[in-house]
Amino acid sequence: MNIKTNNKPADAVSTLQEGKAAMLPTQHLLGIEGMNPLEIRSLLDRGDQFADAMQQSGDDLSPLSDVLQGKTIINLFYENSTRTRVSFELAAKRLGGAVLNIAVAGSSVKKGETLLDTATTLNAMHPHILVVRHNCSGAARLLSHHVDAAVINAGDGRHEHPTQALLDALTIRRRVGHIEGLKIAICGDIANSRVARSNIHLLGTLGAEVRLVSPATLLPTGIEQMGVSIATELEEGIRGADIVMMLRLQTERMAGTETPSQREYYNLFGLDRSKLMRAAPDALIMHPGPMNRGVEIDSAMADDAQKSLIRTQVEMGVATRMACLEAMAVKLATEAETSKERQ
Amino acid sequence: MNDILFTNARLIDPSQNLDASGHLAITDGVISALGSGQVNGKTAKADRVIDCKGACLAPGLVDMRVQTADPGSEHLEDLATLLNAAAAGGVTGLGCLPNTQPVIDNAAMIDSLGLRASRAAGPRLHIYGAATKGVAGTEMAELGLMAEAGAVAFTNATTSIGDALVMRRLLAYANMLDKPVIQHCEDASLAADGEMNESETSTRLGLIGIPAIAEAVIIERDIQLMRLTGARYHVAHLSTRAGIDAVRRAKAEGLPITADTAPPYFLLNEIAVSTYDTAFKLSPPLRSEDDRQAVIEAIADGTIDAIASDHVPVDGDAKAQPFGPAQPGASGLDTLLALTLTLVQQHQISLLRAFEALSLAPAAILDVTGGTLMPGAAADIIVVSPDTGWLVRGANFVSLSRITPFEGQPVQGLVDATYVDGVCVFNRHA
Repeated sequence: MNIKTNNKPADAVSTLQEGKAAMLPTQHLLGIEGMNPLEIRSLLDRGDQFADAMQQSGDDLSPLSDVLQGKTIINLFYENSTRTRVSFELAAKRLGGAVLNIAVAGSSVKKGETLLDTATTLNAMHPHILVVRHNCSGAARLLSHHVDAAVINAGDGRHEHPTQALLDALTIRRRVGHIEGLKIAICGDIANSRVARSNIHLLGTLGAEVRLVSPATLLPTGIEQMGVSIATELEEGIRGADIVMMLRLQTERMAGTETPSQREYYNLFGLDRSKLMRAAPDALIMHPGPMNRGVEIDSAMADDAQKSLIRTQVEMGVATRMACLEAMAVKLATEAETSKERQ
Repeated sequence: MNDILFTNARLIDPSQNLDASGHLAITDGVISALGSGQVNGKTAKADRVIDCKGACLAPGLVDMRVQTADPGSEHLEDLATLLNAAAAGGVTGLGCLPNTQPVIDNAAMIDSLGLRASRAAGPRLHIYGAATKGVAGTEMAELGLMAEAGAVAFTNATTSIGDALVMRRLLAYANMLDKPVIQHCEDASLAADGEMNESETSTRLGLIGIPAIAEAVIIERDIQLMRLTGARYHVAHLSTRAGIDAVRRAKAEGLPITADTAPPYFLLNEIAVSTYDTAFKLSPPLRSEDDRQAVIEAIADGTIDAIASDHVPVDGDAKAQPFGPAQPGASGLDTLLALTLTLVQQHQISLLRAFEALSLAPAAILDVTGGTLMPGAAADIIVVSPDTGWLVRGANFVSLSRITPFEGQPVQGLVDATYVDGVCVFNRHA
């Protein structure tokens, strides 16, 4: 493991327990757009403490906190997911919460129930936090208007995937120490990527220089107005980059005319050792997963422990989501108290 | 002897460029006298005298783009609610699209709907025949038989005729029948899966964009086909600067091209979609601010001839969805007049121009009754209080379709009464 542990305290678990939950701007976590640097940093700081504590506790998976004790978290996934769903589940369990997983296959969603009817049904079961992934942009926001629970967006269409951007930032921060001033290239299928959008918002807000590298057919209109620079050639786009973030070619969202073939895509936009030479000497590689090995990234490079942060990203997923869930639980408790006082 | 005499009216007649106080008399359903100033002795005799107290007396609106859900989805809007909503909105004639279930693509359908509308004795229903069978865009429907049955125009309703050869033949054939072809201009391949206008906003929201040029691509092609066939061609709900420029050039060339737009395209822009509120999901989509400005300019300079409601019956369930799968469209009959008058209140156009775009121009395009207060014309008229304010509330609409992108918006301009053939079909104060 290549995690920077210079300032690791003697007892990470007690540091965690003495620490404070992160703060969220609203009851829900629907996107990074609109969050300020303080809010983002507080989530990263808390994620950092969770990561330390988890590393210290090793194989002992007992809860690190009881902040979700007596709380129900529902994972409502309309799209397949392994890492995101599992890491939300682990995160909730390690905070003492009870987790219910609802996958679309085998549920009444398949029988034609609408998103809002499902929301109403789930609402009647009084969950505290609803983690939602949906193939439509704006779906998490729509749900948040119709349920009492706090909603976490675990990916909505092509819009946002805020916890992915947070875990990416935490991964970078723990390895490099800072985000401000870094040159970060996000490469690949920008048009279909919610990860790209959340990362553009987050990394830009924290002061990184973000560049996008993509074939012209996968660059969405007006993206340059989101404070990024653009390249349509991989070598040029990653020149001098500290971080090279590869995106998955989302073949399931594509119509078939965006790129001629996977072979050509790999040739022009796939990251291999020789293209990486253009990046900064100690450049690091990231990928949100799941990877198409040999399409957007050379297989051996993805596994290169020196250069690749891909495994760390997965590990940081749990810590980040613990920070988010904890912040929401605290916010829920505060709001409950305030409304009690009002009564 | 007059049946009805309206006195103390502000007469608005775009056909005579008239905006003056005066009176108007109706005899046997026809406008029999129109005069400025006080009523003289001869016309003063009437069965009924209505003192307008300074309110506007104008030709009833001719709304040239209305979707009826009847037949097929009467729970969304049936003919009765549609005609009632039209009457309450000051609409005395409405052009309805053929995309019903079944599709209005044969003479029997025109007969049946026309007969039912005439029995209802409300506003006039002008029926558009489907240009192609089942509005599928491939085989020409029986345009000649439908024209004989009373179809006033032909259109593929909410989709463009994409095939250039089909369009060429339609224009040629419709021209032979002296009927216009109305096109929803949107290239289907460029707009495929599209959810909103393509822009920085669509990129931020992660919604699939429909590029503005999808409209101009079809208009430009059809202009070429007009040159080939000489046919009359009408662009429905024109919404982009590129499309407007194309229409303006074709008009300058003298081609028989006309266009309409709808209130969302001159009052709203794509930013409204930012909260994923599906009331703002329309087809064509809300465009950029620059496009909106271009639409206003085009209404003022006449490049856009007419303003229509683009009324689409949509129920709450079809809108209670994420933005992508939500059905496009919104209710428009109840709000057409007041929303159009917004342009007058903003000094973008004159009151006369507003009524020209709402009555005279569409009546001329469709070659139907309306748009004038000239003695001898059918008494399709409305009494309007142009300054009376009200709040747009879908729940209060006469139409069964209650979704509006203008929910909660204050507007000015209220229809007091609507007359068709001199018969009162709506009276707010009754």
